[in-house]
Amino acid sequence: MDVTYADYQSSRPVDQRVVDAMLPYFGGTAFGNAASLHGVGDRATAALEDARGRVAALFGAEPREIVFTSGATEATNIALIGYAQRNRRKGDHVLITEAEHISVLNIAKYLEKNGFKVTRAPIDLYGRVNVKKLRARITDETILVSVGWASNEIGTVQPIQEIAEMLAGTGVALHTDAVAAEGLLPIDMKATPVSLMSLSANEIYGPRGVGALYVRAGVQVAPVLLGGGQERGLRSGTEDLASIAGFAAAADIMAAEQPAEVARIRALRDRLVGRVLAEIPDSHLNGAPIDTPYGRLPNNAHFRFDGVEGEAMVLSLRDLGVAAATGSACSSKTLEPSHTLISCGLLHEEAHGSLEFTFGRFSTDDDVDRIMEALPPVIQRLRALSPLYKTHSPA
Amino acid sequence: MKSTQYSEKTLDHFRNPRNVGTLEGANVAVGRVGNPVCGDMMDIYIKVTDDDRIEDIKFQTFGCGSAVATSSMVTELVIGMKLDDALKVTRGDVADALEGLPPIKMHCSNLAADALHEAIKNWREGVKPEDATQTRVDKSCHPRPAEVVKVEISNLADYVGKGVYTQLEDLAELAGQRVVVLDTGDAAAQKAIDLTDHTGRVVLVTTGKEPSVSSAVRSALRLSDVKLLTEAQPLELKGEGELERIRVHDLNEDEEYELTADALVVLE
Repeated sequence: MDVTYADYQSSRPVDQRVVDAMLPYFGGTAFGNAASLHGVGDRATAALEDARGRVAALFGAEPREIVFTSGATEATNIALIGYAQRNRRKGDHVLITEAEHISVLNIAKYLEKNGFKVTRAPIDLYGRVNVKKLRARITDETILVSVGWASNEIGTVQPIQEIAEMLAGTGVALHTDAVAAEGLLPIDMKATPVSLMSLSANEIYGPRGVGALYVRAGVQVAPVLLGGGQERGLRSGTEDLASIAGFAAAADIMAAEQPAEVARIRALRDRLVGRVLAEIPDSHLNGAPIDTPYGRLPNNAHFRFDGVEGEAMVLSLRDLGVAAATGSACSSKTLEPSHTLISCGLLHEEAHGSLEFTFGRFSTDDDVDRIMEALPPVIQRLRALSPLYKTHSPA
Repeated sequence: MKSTQYSEKTLDHFRNPRNVGTLEGANVAVGRVGNPVCGDMMDIYIKVTDDDRIEDIKFQTFGCGSAVATSSMVTELVIGMKLDDALKVTRGDVADALEGLPPIKMHCSNLAADALHEAIKNWREGVKPEDATQTRVDKSCHPRPAEVVKVEISNLADYVGKGVYTQLEDLAELAGQRVVVLDTGDAAAQKAIDLTDHTGRVVLVTTGKEPSVSSAVRSALRLSDVKLLTEAQPLELKGEGELERIRVHDLNEDEEYELTADALVVLE
């Protein structure tokens, strides 16, 4: 069965043009180790530095500010653990938000176990960080603030510019996990003074297993992985040249195509949201309204439906060839519902009823139609099974 | 194992659930277990013959794939059975009949067997279906009075003027905020309804199984965008300088959790 893939937030296909750009680096004379002194090594060094410049260009960064990693998770580990440890003498307080990705939350727990104090700043109804409350939580001991550029889950975009400007010059570093925003929002390190930023190649249709940490010039970070001292000592291990070349090719394509692509994806998403809210009774959009200019990621549609549970929706849609995601507890390893939805103020039963669609480069109008063929009968069937739905319906 | 790695048998019962629905009549009892807070809630209806046999059985379930499948499976296992034998059906039997469940989902099979046992218990104790499914909207015009639990928020006074409102004239003041209104009768419920013109998030919290309001206000509530939170007892307010969260006691599950809120309206 053909699958209508509407789960771009969890993984994206690698663009074929990126695959083609990677192939030369597996063999021939382009497979080398950039540390070697011979010609094959020199060719690898040239390719590596060329790739660094192209990735840096997409994000308005200087090439020397880009450290290649195995992905955004590793970048975030270096950013939070490496920065906190390197700067411990300045203070021991790290501030994050209630809307962070699980990787940030778990690293923050690790820091707590290792003697740091961690505070979480609250978010509003739409999942946006309240800057006033964030600022109120900064103390003399605060060394690092970490705020995701946007939520991969409900698509809410954070006021990163405002937070970055507030912190600039204070000595408190700002880290942002920009993964959810990559390829969808303008990210320009010349305009936005963040100190550290986690990036993933897959988010811009590059390969998985490669990412980068942006480290602004002058920001001091300790490595978390020790070895041969590659990547300015911050990320030891021989560079994965083929993947890095893929990251660079993906960056080139995104730089050229992003404006048109985003407009197209936004139109798909808007059409889906319009149809769901109009055609399915007792349906709600979680997160920010779609008409705020940069309040919500343009590819994200996150709903909840009264009286039905998320995993049951995802399973039913799977049977009908539609791939979607949910924040329901029943689909998680811990049986806890999405912390972001709870922090937005939803009740547990509402968080259990969430369903997320995310679009991307290869999504089409046809996908929206196929979702709307499948979804209404699924909701109807599950509501017919549900002892809760009658309670909610205004009959 | 992925939490959704279900056996074919489980998927079959999820896709084609057996015995969905409700039963009515003199020989019917219902067992309800679970709670929407936990993400699973099920009602099992049994119709019992004069010689203590389950003549018919139906279910309704809110929950994940295995919650639906285990409900369906348990109805199939016990239909036609003597009540004493049906009481011996365990959660393990349900999981086995489904050819296994992912370990993390074993609690769902627990619930299905519990709902059955609860139905049998209610039958034997003469508990009427309408009393067994208390959170259901009463179909009669005589809603039972809510069970009133006294709400005493330990530190309410600390947050007056910092998110707690004991009176509220200018509703626009709460535009865009997450407002929790404590159920103190018709005036509070009406205030909650009016607030939905100003913000997308209004929760009316009651300790009872229904808000303690007149039937006219009750209908208006049902038609409004007010989210009803029943059997919930606010205990304590939290937040740095301003209200941010409310610690709530879930009276049904006897558990505590936190509800995010910007404002709490407690009309005097």
